[in-house]
Amino acid sequence: MVRHGIKDKVAIIGCDMTKYGERWDKSQHDLLFEAFQSAIKDAGITKDEIDASWIGIFYYFTGLSGAMVEDMLKLDGKPATRVENYCASGMDAFRNASFAIASGAYDIVLACGVEKLMDEGGSGLPGFRQFGHPLYPTPSAPAMFSMAATRCFHEFGWTKEDLARVAVKNHDNGAEHPKAHFRSRITIEQAMKAPMIADPLGRFDCCAMSDGAAALILTRPELAESYAHANDYVMVKANAISARTNFPWYVPANGPGADFTAFPSTIKAAEYAYKEAGITNPRKEIDAAEVHDCFTITELINCQDLQFCDRGQAAEELKNGTFNWDGETAVNPSGGLKSFGHPIGSTGCRMLTEITKQVQGRAEGRQVPDAKIGLAHNLGGAFSVCSTTILGLRE
Amino acid sequence: MPVGIKSYGAYLPKYMLPREDISKAWDFPLVPGTKAVAMEDEDSLTMSVEAGLDCLSGIDPKTVDGVFFASTTQVYTEKDSASLIATVLDMRDDIVTADFTDSTKAGTTALARAVDTIKSNKDVNSILVVAADTRKPEPSTMWEFGFADGAAALLVADEENIPISIDDYYSVSANVTGPWKRADKDEFVRTFEVKTDGMFYVQSVTKAMSEVLKRNKLNPSEDIDIAAYYYNNPRAHSRISKMMKFGQGVAQDSLFFQVGDTGTPMPFMLLIASLRRPKPEAKIIMAGFGDGADAILMQVRDKDGVKAIGKGRMGFLGHQKSMTLLKNYNKFIEFKELLDKDRYTRKSSAVLIWRDTPSVYQWYGIKCKNCGSVQYPKLSRSCSVCRADDQFEDVKLAYKGELFTFTLDHLVGGAYLNTPVPRCVIDLEGGGRVLVDMTEIENPEKNVEIGMKVELTFRKYHEGGEFKNYYWKCRPVRGRP
Repeated sequence: MVRHGIKDKVAIIGCDMTKYGERWDKSQHDLLFEAFQSAIKDAGITKDEIDASWIGIFYYFTGLSGAMVEDMLKLDGKPATRVENYCASGMDAFRNASFAIASGAYDIVLACGVEKLMDEGGSGLPGFRQFGHPLYPTPSAPAMFSMAATRCFHEFGWTKEDLARVAVKNHDNGAEHPKAHFRSRITIEQAMKAPMIADPLGRFDCCAMSDGAAALILTRPELAESYAHANDYVMVKANAISARTNFPWYVPANGPGADFTAFPSTIKAAEYAYKEAGITNPRKEIDAAEVHDCFTITELINCQDLQFCDRGQAAEELKNGTFNWDGETAVNPSGGLKSFGHPIGSTGCRMLTEITKQVQGRAEGRQVPDAKIGLAHNLGGAFSVCSTTILGLRE
Repeated sequence: MPVGIKSYGAYLPKYMLPREDISKAWDFPLVPGTKAVAMEDEDSLTMSVEAGLDCLSGIDPKTVDGVFFASTTQVYTEKDSASLIATVLDMRDDIVTADFTDSTKAGTTALARAVDTIKSNKDVNSILVVAADTRKPEPSTMWEFGFADGAAALLVADEENIPISIDDYYSVSANVTGPWKRADKDEFVRTFEVKTDGMFYVQSVTKAMSEVLKRNKLNPSEDIDIAAYYYNNPRAHSRISKMMKFGQGVAQDSLFFQVGDTGTPMPFMLLIASLRRPKPEAKIIMAGFGDGADAILMQVRDKDGVKAIGKGRMGFLGHQKSMTLLKNYNKFIEFKELLDKDRYTRKSSAVLIWRDTPSVYQWYGIKCKNCGSVQYPKLSRSCSVCRADDQFEDVKLAYKGELFTFTLDHLVGGAYLNTPVPRCVIDLEGGGRVLVDMTEIENPEKNVEIGMKVELTFRKYHEGGEFKNYYWKCRPVRGRP
């Protein structure tokens, strides 16, 4: 929904993230501290200059409430709020922080996210025995998205090999990124032969459990010129969220999203974001996109829903190189969730950090040539919540 | 009006274990035949629902005035099963319900008491008597060759043109310690001396049957067409037949070789199996055994009526046809939960399940009066298609549908028996889209596909909250009407 929007009202003046991976010897406190200290250093500010904070944390075992910010960072009792919105938690924390700046209430705010998944062990997302209705089946996260893969195979003729190409491309990009969880390249054969997690998705079709944190410092554009990135601070061009059902499998055949070959929350969030940013040809205008690739099928469907290609064409376009880091629309030049894993609350802030650095021309892994406009996208739950943010340099 | 059997239904689980697999597992002499084995997501209650659905096919459950449940393997003690079965079968709440337990003759006892209740109570004109057992045998004992799982249901009613009348019954009681299971200690059935057990069995069953025949002036060799009595080994069966002097082919023995000793429902099953080609006016004697015996005298009053029941139901033979062999003995051990493994469970709430009874047990959805779409479950008061507020009316959903999409989930909240679990999005006949797990499926990688037809089946799901959590699953079609 774009009533007035916040285009060009919010500037990113610093950002950073931790190394992602199995950070056994670090707690969530260590991780957020690390990301936060790097971000304020990047912005050239002290922690006392932060007026308020928003933090994305999904799981209760990582932390509850905004008091986590105080526990981890000691900001002297300043306002702090925890945001939970599935895999979009981090990006929604950023969205709320952006609104606080755009409203004029604060000068400098922190948007951050952290998740310490590995403390619960690495065999899939925890909690599936606790939440939800006791009798309605609770498919695992890969199972939710697999049901879309099954329909796409049926409708579009996509295959396991088409999925494998997403994994191969993203691991190829991730191998170049010093902060990625996985830095090895894989082959199509490896991806296709991996053990099944939720048929037809195998191990290489799924992002990994991981630990990590990321943080961004926001201010008003007129203040941005007083800080370290005076010449290359990054503007928020659009910020949109769409929420759909938690239970797409109950939507009747004539209801929204019932075909399982598109994610209506992504379609709507993209529509809002493009309208706000004034983008009419996303394929041409978006130079670098960090797109939610929790599963390989998710990236393919997202590329269609984000209008990077026509419906049913994502697999072919990927094969032709459209989504390579040096292709027409670079998708996940960082290596994506496939290479970083998915510490849920942190992922949105990590993507925004990647895109900020891409448009500043200082990407840590693969730099997309001449990137001016970038997009970050999260899709959470059972394709329930989508957050889409567009960033660009000031004009 | 005559009281008798208006309808019947049966349930046999999908799988059979060859007895030679047991012989091989324990290095015992080879024993021929197979036995019916329920899956780990089945118990006496879920099998009763299956038999009840079969029995009530084409009959409005709201017209039935009671449920009597009979079993030695009831799932609760301080809570009955009959009321839960009645709820799942979508019956009224002003009905009579009771559990008959602790003896394998509980089925015939419940049947006799149903007749008593109907005759003595003008508000009660029909009772569904459903018997089920899933006795867990102690591994490497002789019980393992016999004990089998199944359920059968008889709808007893007082009405004109009853297809089979129940004309008389007679019971004997015998206090014998064997076989038994101590309520506070034993997981498995025990026995002291099988020879005396066999002797008491023969005495009780022959006495009950002889007395009821004698007082109705019937000659077993000439007047009886069908004899359906409990037995737990073929030798005992033929011994009774000889002692009673039943004619050739009268004593029903179609069960043991393929299905095994199903316990409480066995006499009902033998009766149902014998009704495929009923003789006009056929006289039937049925007997149950366990600490005594019940003998029940019945007669076919309307041959075509009996045939019509058979045509609309799976009954005994319909289930038998769709049974398949278990892969191996280990599968049996897994189904019987004889390995102390971590089992899938999750948080539960008895309050929430009670509130959602129409959705989760009675299989109701909602229909939007504005756009006409049928939806499940009742998650909201706003339509998920047209967004109209408060326009829903309840609608009964079909127990059949077609697979729209699916996945085979290997990642099911930690440990889980039988992974991968097929998660199936089903479009139900007549509307409504549901997500259910699939059961009774081998090689799901090959056998689950978009467009396949499925049936809904009521199953044990988990034991969250330390109680039995039941829900519907789907299965490849077995042919329930």
